[in-house]
Amino acid sequence: MALTDPYRKPLTGQQAAHLLRRATFGPSPAQIRQFTGLTPQAAVTTLLTTPATPTPPVDPATLKPFNTLAFDTVQATAWQNATKYWWLGLMVNEGPSLREKMVVFWQNHFVSTFGVVADARYMYRQNTVLRSHAVGNFRAFVIDMTKDPAMLRYLNGNQNVVGKPNENYARELQELFTIGVGNYTEDDVKAAARVLTGWTDVGYRSTTSVDISTTFRSAQHDGTDKVFSAAYQNKVIKGRTGTTAGDTELGELVDMILAQPEASRFIVRKLYRWFINSTITADIEQNFIEPLALQFRQGGFEIKPVVTTMLTSQHFFDDALRGAIVKSPLELNVGTLRYFGIKAPDAVTNQSGFAQLMAFVQARNVEQQQNIMDQPTVFGWRPYYDTGFYDLWINSTTLALRGYFTDQLTAGTVKYGVDKLVLDLIALAKLTSDPSDPVKLIDEWSALFFAVDMTQSQRDFLIDNVLISGLPRYEWNLEWQTYMSDPTNKNKQMAVNTKLNTTLQYMFRLAEYQVC
Amino acid sequence: MDRRHFLQHASASLLLPVFIDGFGAKAFGSPNSAFMQTLLQLATATDRVLVMIQLNGGNDGLNMVVPLDQMSKYTALRTNIALPEAKVLKLTGNLQTGLHPSMTGLQSLYNEGKVSIVHSVSYPTPNFSHFRASDIWFTGADSSQVLTTGWAGRYLDAEWPGYPTGYPTKDVPDPLAIQIGYITSTAFAGPGGPMAVAIPNPDTFAQLVGDKPAIDLAPPPNTPAGQHITYIRQQQLSSVAYASQIKAAAAKGKNLVTYPTGNGLADQLKIVSRLIHGGLQTRVYYVTIGGFDTHASQTSTTDTTTGAHATLLKTLSDAIKVFQDDLRVQGTEDRVAGMTFSEFGRRAISNASYGTDHGVAAPLFVFGKGVKTTVIGKNPNLSDLDNNNIKMQTDFRQVYAALLTDWLGAGKPEVTSVLQKSFDIVPIFQQLITATEPLASALRLYPNPASDRVTLEGDVLLAGVSNLQVVDPSGRVMGVPINRLSDRALAMDVQSLAAGTYVVALQAGDQRFSTRMLVAR
Repeated sequence: MALTDPYRKPLTGQQAAHLLRRATFGPSPAQIRQFTGLTPQAAVTTLLTTPATPTPPVDPATLKPFNTLAFDTVQATAWQNATKYWWLGLMVNEGPSLREKMVVFWQNHFVSTFGVVADARYMYRQNTVLRSHAVGNFRAFVIDMTKDPAMLRYLNGNQNVVGKPNENYARELQELFTIGVGNYTEDDVKAAARVLTGWTDVGYRSTTSVDISTTFRSAQHDGTDKVFSAAYQNKVIKGRTGTTAGDTELGELVDMILAQPEASRFIVRKLYRWFINSTITADIEQNFIEPLALQFRQGGFEIKPVVTTMLTSQHFFDDALRGAIVKSPLELNVGTLRYFGIKAPDAVTNQSGFAQLMAFVQARNVEQQQNIMDQPTVFGWRPYYDTGFYDLWINSTTLALRGYFTDQLTAGTVKYGVDKLVLDLIALAKLTSDPSDPVKLIDEWSALFFAVDMTQSQRDFLIDNVLISGLPRYEWNLEWQTYMSDPTNKNKQMAVNTKLNTTLQYMFRLAEYQVC
Repeated sequence: MDRRHFLQHASASLLLPVFIDGFGAKAFGSPNSAFMQTLLQLATATDRVLVMIQLNGGNDGLNMVVPLDQMSKYTALRTNIALPEAKVLKLTGNLQTGLHPSMTGLQSLYNEGKVSIVHSVSYPTPNFSHFRASDIWFTGADSSQVLTTGWAGRYLDAEWPGYPTGYPTKDVPDPLAIQIGYITSTAFAGPGGPMAVAIPNPDTFAQLVGDKPAIDLAPPPNTPAGQHITYIRQQQLSSVAYASQIKAAAAKGKNLVTYPTGNGLADQLKIVSRLIHGGLQTRVYYVTIGGFDTHASQTSTTDTTTGAHATLLKTLSDAIKVFQDDLRVQGTEDRVAGMTFSEFGRRAISNASYGTDHGVAAPLFVFGKGVKTTVIGKNPNLSDLDNNNIKMQTDFRQVYAALLTDWLGAGKPEVTSVLQKSFDIVPIFQQLITATEPLASALRLYPNPASDRVTLEGDVLLAGVSNLQVVDPSGRVMGVPINRLSDRALAMDVQSLAAGTYVVALQAGDQRFSTRMLVAR
C-alpha cells in the first residue's frame, strides 16, 4: 500500500477533527460532527467548495471600500490595519473550507509586506490575486505574482530595467517561489533578471488616482537573448522587442523553471510542511513527495488535485502524525475562537466591535510572532521555510504569551464593542454524551480538544485535580444535577461554570493544546 | 513600598489600627518626630505575608474544636463519632474548649498565644453546594450574588492596579501571590485575570529550582507530536512567570527545621517558608489540602479518635506546627500570618455511616506570632441549632477584613470596596482588653446604662483619640457611629446594639482606657 493511496474509510471523530485542524484554522465541535462519517474524498470535496468572494475591506472613516479610493496619507495606517483585520475576520468566520488556510500559505510563500509596500490598496489587491489562484494553476499563479504591483515593489521588479538590472526578484523567484536554492546558478539569476526587465507598477500611493495596475515598458526591456546554465539544459530565451515581449519571455521563463522536476518537488515539500509534518524523511521524500510532484507536473501544475491527494492519502491519516504540527499563532488564536463559534462582527454595521476584536487577535498574533502581511523576511515564517523548525514558534516568552491569551479567554475579560468574549462552557459540556459524568465529560472533551490522545492518568488527573479537585467524583454529578434542575439559577450555574472554566484554562495550558 | 503602605503596617504593629476622623494624627506630631522616624525604620521589616490554607470538602469543625462545656449534648448528637472528653486536648486559659486529640501541634501553638480560634464562621443564607459555597468564600460574595473576581484578587488589584499586565517591575519584581498547586483559586481572580502564579506542585517546582523530581512524568510517545510535547514541557518549566525570581529565592532560602515525610500540606508549606526566607516579596501564599468531605467513615468504628478525619487534622496540625517552628528559627515569624478555611462546616448530628453531612458554620484558625486575641466568639450553642446546623457567629468577611486591615495594612475604604461593604473587624490582631479598669477620673461615660446616645468626656481626649472600640461579650467589635463633639468630648450612638454588657476601649495619646458599658432596652 502506497503512502499516497487514498484512505477510503468513513472518518472517525478524531480523524474528522484531524483533517479540519489541518485544512482550516480549527474546527468547531459542530463541524467535527458534520465531517464524522464522511469519506475523506467527500470531506475534501466539501473543503474545496469555493466560498463566495468576500466583500472588500472598508475605510473605517467613511465605511467605503478603500480600493475604490485614491491613496490617503492620513488614513494609510488605518487602511493597513483594516486590511489585516479584514483578512483575520475571514479566517475567524469561514466555514469548513480550505480557502483561507491556502491563502495564508500563499501569502507566506509569495511574501510581500506592509513594511515595504505601504499602500493598503496594493496589499489588498495582491490578496485578491492570492485568493483567486489559491487552488488554481501554479503556472498562471507565478506569472500573475511576477506582475503583481505589490510584488513589483516588494522585490524591486519595478526598478529592473535594461542596462541596470535589479536581480532581487529574479533570485527569489527561483530560490523561494519555484525551485529552491542549489538548482540554478548565479548566471541564471542574472539571465532571469534580464528576462524580467521592463515591468513596473502604476498608482503607488497616488493621492489622485484610484487605479492600480502593471505596465510593461518595452523600451526598458532587454531585447537580447538570455542564455541559461546547464541547470536549465543551457536553455536560450530569445530576446524580444515590442509590447508583447515581456509576457512572451516571462511565459518561457516560468515554463523553463517548472519543467525541472525539482520545482514541483519544492512546492510539494512546502505544502507538506504546511499540512502534514515538518520533517521529511528519505522514505517520505521517495514515496510521498516524489509521486505527488509527478502528479503536479503531469497535471499541468494544477494545485487542487495535488492538495486533494495529499489530504485524502493513507499517509495523511496515519495516527502517528496526529499532533505533528506545532500550532502557529493563527492556529492557536484564530483556532480557539473558531472552536467556540465566536464570529467577527460585521465591519460596517458593528465597526467598533469588529475593529476591537480583530485588533485583540492581531495583537496576540504579533506578540506570538506571526504578523500576517508582515513577515520578518522574504523567506516567510521559518517553521514552513525550513525542514524541522516547527518548535521555533515556542520559547519561554511565546509560551507565556500563549497562556496569557487563553487565560484571557477563559477569564472572559476581553471586550469588543458591546460584546464580551465569553466561552459558553455549559453548552460545550452539554455536547458530551453525559455531562453529569465527570469521566465522560473529560474523556469526550479531551478527544475533541486535543490532537493527541490523553493517557488514562492524564484524564484522571484532569478530573480529580482540576475539575473537582479534592472532592469525590460523585460531587460533580450532584452539582451538575442541581444546576440542571434549576438551570436559570445564576448561582447554581456559576457553581458548575467556574469548575468548567478552571478545567478549560488548565487544558489550554497543557503542552498538548499547542500541537495540532 | 510607599509611605502609605508602610504607615499602615507600622500602625498595625503598634496596635493603632483605627484612626477616628484623623484625630489620631495629632499624637504623631510632626512627620519628623522621633516617633515617625521609628516608624519609617520599620518599613522594610514589616512586609507582611499571608498564608491561606484551604481545607477542601467541608471540614467537620465540631470534631476539630470541641465544646467541652456541652459534652453531654455533643455526645448525644453524634453518638457514633463523638470524641471522648478525656482524650480531647485541653487549652491553657480556655477551659470551655478543646482540640481534636490528633492536633497536639496546634495545641502547643495555641498555648503559646500563636493561634486564634474564630468560632462559628459562616455567612447569611448558607449554601450547601461544594462549588457554590467555595465560590462564596473565594469571591467574598453574598449568598445570592454572583461575583467573578476573588476577594484576594480585588485586594491585590487595588494595591497594584492592572497586575499582571506590565509586571514585573523594578519595585515589584516578584509575583504578588503564589499558589502551590495546578490551578489558581478563584480567590485570586482579578479584573484582568489571575493575580496569582500557580507553581504546579512540589515536584514540578523542584524541577524548576533544579532539584530532582520525586515522580517521573510519563514520557510522551515517540511520534512527532510526542517530541514537540516534550520540548514544550521543557519550555513551560522555564516560562512559569517570574521563574528566575522564584528560583533565586528558593536557592537563597532555607528550611531550618526537619519537616515530616508523607505530609502533603507540610510539603507545600515547606516551599512557602523557603521562599519567604529567600526574600521573595510575595504577599499571599495559598495551599490546599483535600479530603474533608467526610460523609462516611470519618472515624473508625472502634476508636473515634482515629480514622480519616483524625488523619486529616493531624496532617493539618503537624504541618502548621512545623511551618511555624521553621519561621521562628528563620527569624521570619513576625512577618507571617496564616488562616485555615473550608467551604462549610458539617452537620452537628452525625449520620449512620460514621460520617457527617454538609453543614453550615465552623471554626477556623488564624495563626502566627501577630495573633493578639486567641478566641473570637464562643463555642456554638448545641441547644440552639437550626435543622441540626450550627448557627453563624462571625461572617467570614469579618475575618477577611481583619486580615486585610490589621495584617496586610489595607486602608478601610479600600477594604470596604474589596469586600463590597463595611464589615466589623474581628480583633484577631488587636489586643482585646478583657479585664476592665475604671476610667481615669478625668474621663466620664454617661449615661450608663445607655439606650441611644452616650457621651465620653474628659481632658485626656485633648491628646487625640485613636482606636476607640466597642466590644461585645464574645469579643466582636461592634461598629457604632461616633461623633466628635469637641476636642474633649465624643458621642457614640448605641441604638443598634442589643441589650447587654459591652467594653468600651480607647487610646488617647499614649494612654489606654477601658470601661464597661451597659445597654438597656
